[in-house]
Amino acid sequence: MSNRKPSWATKRDTTSTRQHHAKGKRLVTHEHNEVIGTDCPSPKQSLRSRSNLTVGFEPSANLAITPHHSTDPPSVRDSPPTGSAERWRKLLYIQQDYPDNYVDASFLENLQKNVNFQSYDYFAVIRESTVITDHISSVVIFVAVFIQLYHRHLDPHILVMVGTVLTFLGVAVWEWRLANDSTAPVGEDEVREKHPADDRTSHPSSQEGAPPLRQSFMRLAIVFFLTLLGLSPILHTLTEDTSSDTIWAMSTCLIVTNILFHDYSSDPTHTIAFPGSIALNAAIFACVLLASRLSSNLHVFAFMSFALGWFALFPIFRRHLKRRLPKAHLTQTGLLVGTAFALFWPITRTLAILYILGVFCLTFLCPIWLIWIQRYKNEIHGPWDEARPKVRRYPSLY
Amino acid sequence: MDSLNICLVSDFFYPNTGGVETHQYSLSQCLIRRGHKVVLITHAYGERTGIRYLSDGLKVYYVPCLVIYNQATLPTVVANFPIFRQIFIREEIQVVHGHGSLSPFCHEAIFHARTMGLKTCLTDHSLFGFADTGSILTNKLLKFTLSDIDHVICVSHTSKENTVLRAALNPLIVSTIPNAIVGRNLRPDPTAADPNCITIVVACRLVYRKGIDLLVATIPRICQRYPEVKFIIGGDGPRRIDLEQMRETHVLQDRVELLGAVKASDIRKVLVRGNIFLNTSLTEAFGIGMVEAACCGLLVVTTKVGGVPEVLPEYMINFAAPEEDDLVQGISRAIDTFKTRDQHPELNPMALHQTVKQMYSWMDVAIRTERVYRSISALESPPLIERLRRYYGCGLWAGKLFCILAAVDYLLYLFLEWWWPRSGIERAPTFDYTRYAEVRFIRWNRLAREFYQTYGPTYKDF
Repeated sequence: MSNRKPSWATKRDTTSTRQHHAKGKRLVTHEHNEVIGTDCPSPKQSLRSRSNLTVGFEPSANLAITPHHSTDPPSVRDSPPTGSAERWRKLLYIQQDYPDNYVDASFLENLQKNVNFQSYDYFAVIRESTVITDHISSVVIFVAVFIQLYHRHLDPHILVMVGTVLTFLGVAVWEWRLANDSTAPVGEDEVREKHPADDRTSHPSSQEGAPPLRQSFMRLAIVFFLTLLGLSPILHTLTEDTSSDTIWAMSTCLIVTNILFHDYSSDPTHTIAFPGSIALNAAIFACVLLASRLSSNLHVFAFMSFALGWFALFPIFRRHLKRRLPKAHLTQTGLLVGTAFALFWPITRTLAILYILGVFCLTFLCPIWLIWIQRYKNEIHGPWDEARPKVRRYPSLY
Repeated sequence: MDSLNICLVSDFFYPNTGGVETHQYSLSQCLIRRGHKVVLITHAYGERTGIRYLSDGLKVYYVPCLVIYNQATLPTVVANFPIFRQIFIREEIQVVHGHGSLSPFCHEAIFHARTMGLKTCLTDHSLFGFADTGSILTNKLLKFTLSDIDHVICVSHTSKENTVLRAALNPLIVSTIPNAIVGRNLRPDPTAADPNCITIVVACRLVYRKGIDLLVATIPRICQRYPEVKFIIGGDGPRRIDLEQMRETHVLQDRVELLGAVKASDIRKVLVRGNIFLNTSLTEAFGIGMVEAACCGLLVVTTKVGGVPEVLPEYMINFAAPEEDDLVQGISRAIDTFKTRDQHPELNPMALHQTVKQMYSWMDVAIRTERVYRSISALESPPLIERLRRYYGCGLWAGKLFCILAAVDYLLYLFLEWWWPRSGIERAPTFDYTRYAEVRFIRWNRLAREFYQTYGPTYKDF
C-alpha cells in the first residue's frame, strides 16, 4: 500500500483505511453496496435519485443504463471504510477512499439536454421555406426554358432580351438599395461576392464605391457576353458526339446535385463557401451538356447567357432581396412559382400539377412536420463538448 | 497472488508518439515489474514488423495490416481474427486490454477476444460530442464493442461520464484511472529559464482542437501588454502557419519562438525554459501536458474544458473560459502571480515538483489497473446467446447487424478451432523477467560505478 499513499496525503487519518484494507481484500459486490450505503447513496440509488433532478435524466428510459450484465459487477477497488465521512470529490490528484468505479450522486450533474432548443413558429418556418421553393422553382424554370428552346417554341432573341432586361432590373434594384442603405459595410460583403475579382470595390475603405461598381459591372458584362458569343460555336459542338440519352441522364444528375448543394443559408458570411461553388459548377456543367442539343449557335448563346445569369447572379440577388426587402421577396417567390407553372403547363400538365403539389407540401405541410418532429429532439451537452473559441477580430488594432 | 497474462492492443504505439503510446508503454513496464506477463499488439509501422522486445522484456507484435488514416487501420471486422487467435493462444493470454476508442485494431481484438471467451477491457483516452456525424459514427462503433465488455477504464471523471453516455453503459463497469507522469524525469531546472524575461511555454500539437485560434488572438495582446514576456511554442501541425502569420503580422519574431515538433524525451528541456505553461485546448480528456508542466515547476494557465479541472489543485492553475478576453486575463493573473512568486512558497518550482510528483505515478496506475484485471478475471464469461442479446440492444438496425457479425465471428472461431486446433499452436516461452532485471541491475551498477569513478563525486545524484 505504500505506493498508493503519497506522503502529503498521510496527514489524513488513514489508519482505519489501512486496517480495512488489510482484512478486506476480497472483491464482494454486496459488501460494497452495503458499505457505501451507510453514509452515501449507493451507485444504483444515486442513479435512481437522479431522475427527479431538473435535467430530467432518466437512465432506464433514455440511455439503457440498466445493467446489461445479469449480476452487478464487483467493485473494483476495495470498499471504502465505514467510518470515513470524507465526501467523494470529482478530482483525480487526490487519493480517495472510494473504488475507482464509484458512482457518486453528482454523476452526470453537468449534463444538459436541449440547451439550444427553440420551438419554431409555423409562419416563420413557412417564410424560411421560401428559400427552397425559390431555388427549386428557378431550376424548374430553367428546365422549362431549355425544353421550349429545344422544341423551338421559344425564340432565342426574346430570351436574350428578357435576360438582359432582368439583369439590368436586378442591378438597378441592387444599386438603389445600396444607395439608400445606411448599413453599408454589410452590403460591401455582397459587393465582394458579386465581383470577387474586383479588389477596388470590395475594399472596405472605398465607401463611395457605387459609381466604380456600375462602370466595372458594365465593362465586365460586355466583355463577358462577347466572350460567350465567341465561344458558343465551341460550346455547341463540345459534347455533340455524346448520345442524347447520356446527356439527359448526366444533366439530370447534375441538376439534382445543384439542388442538393445549393447554399440555402441567407447568411452573407457563408456565401463563398465550398458547397455553393459545387452547386454552381454542377449547374454550368449541365448547361454545357444541354447546349450541345440545341439547334443553332444563337440558341446556344441565348441559353448559356440566360443560364449563367440565372445560376450565378440570381441566387445572390434573391438572398439580398430576402434580407433587405422581405415582402418583395415573398412576391418574387409567388412570381417564380407562377412562372414555373405557366412555362411547364404547355409541356406536360402532369408535371406542372405535380410541381404545384410539391410546392404546396414544401411550404405548408413540411413546416407542420418539422414542428411536430421537434418533440423527439434530444441533444446532449456537457463538459466534454468541444468548446467554441470566442475570438474578437479587429485586425488593425495594433 | 498469481500473475496474469495480459495483452495490450492498440493501433497507436511506438514509434508513433503521443499520450496513448506513453500510457501503454509505462503501464506495461509497471505491470511487468509487478510480476505479470505483458504482450503488446499493434500494427506494423513501415519497416518495423514482426516481434520486437522493448526494455524489461516487453514483447511487441507488429502485425502487418493496411493503415488508412492517421495511423488507424482499415476496419475489417473479421480479417484479423486468425492472427489474433494465434497470438492469444501462443501467449496464453487471459486479459485483453484495448486502448483508444479510435483504434479499429483494438475494437477488433476485443470483439474476437470475447468470441474466444477471454476477459476484456478498454481504456478510453478521448472525449467526443454527440452532435456531429463523425461522433455519431464513432459512438455507434464504440457501442458495438462496449456492449459486450467486462470493464472500461476512463482517464478522468468527465471522460467517464462521456463514455457512459456514448456507449449507454452501466456506470459501475466504468472505472476512472488517470494518466500519470514519470516524475523523476521532470525535475525543474531554475537555471534554464531566461532570468531577464517571463517565458510562456505552449506545447501541443498545433491543431484546431488545441485552440490555436485562441493562441493566435491572445499572443499579440499579451506581448503588447507585457514587454518582458516571451513565448516558446513547441509542436507541429496544420495550424502552425497561422502562428507564423501572426508572428509576422505583429513583428514578434524575436519574442515568439516556434520550435516545431518536439520529441517526447525532449519535452522537459522545452518546459524548463519557461515560467508559465499555457494550454488553450478546446476539449481535453485529461491534459497530461499541464501535469508535466506543473511537475517541471511551471505555473499553469488553461482553458476550463473537459476533464481539466480535475487534474491539478486550483492554486496551481489559472482557469479561463475558452474566450480571447478571458484568456488574456488569465495569463495576466498568472504573470502577476509569477512576479510575486516569492510570497507564495507553495508555488516554488521545487515545491510544485514535489507535490505533483506524488500525485501521479505509473505504479499507482498499474496497481489500480491490475485491480480491474483481477475483478474481471473473477467474472464468468457470458454464453453466446447472452452476447447476442447484448448486441441486439444496440439499435433497430445496428442491433441486427451486430448480431450477424457476432454470429459470423463465432462460426469463424469454430472453423479455426477445427482447421488449426489449439493443440497445434506452439506456446511461446515466457520471457525471464527476473533474470532480465538482475542482469540489468548488475550492468547498471557497474556502469554507475565506472561513471562515478570517471567523473568524480560531482554527479552524486546520478
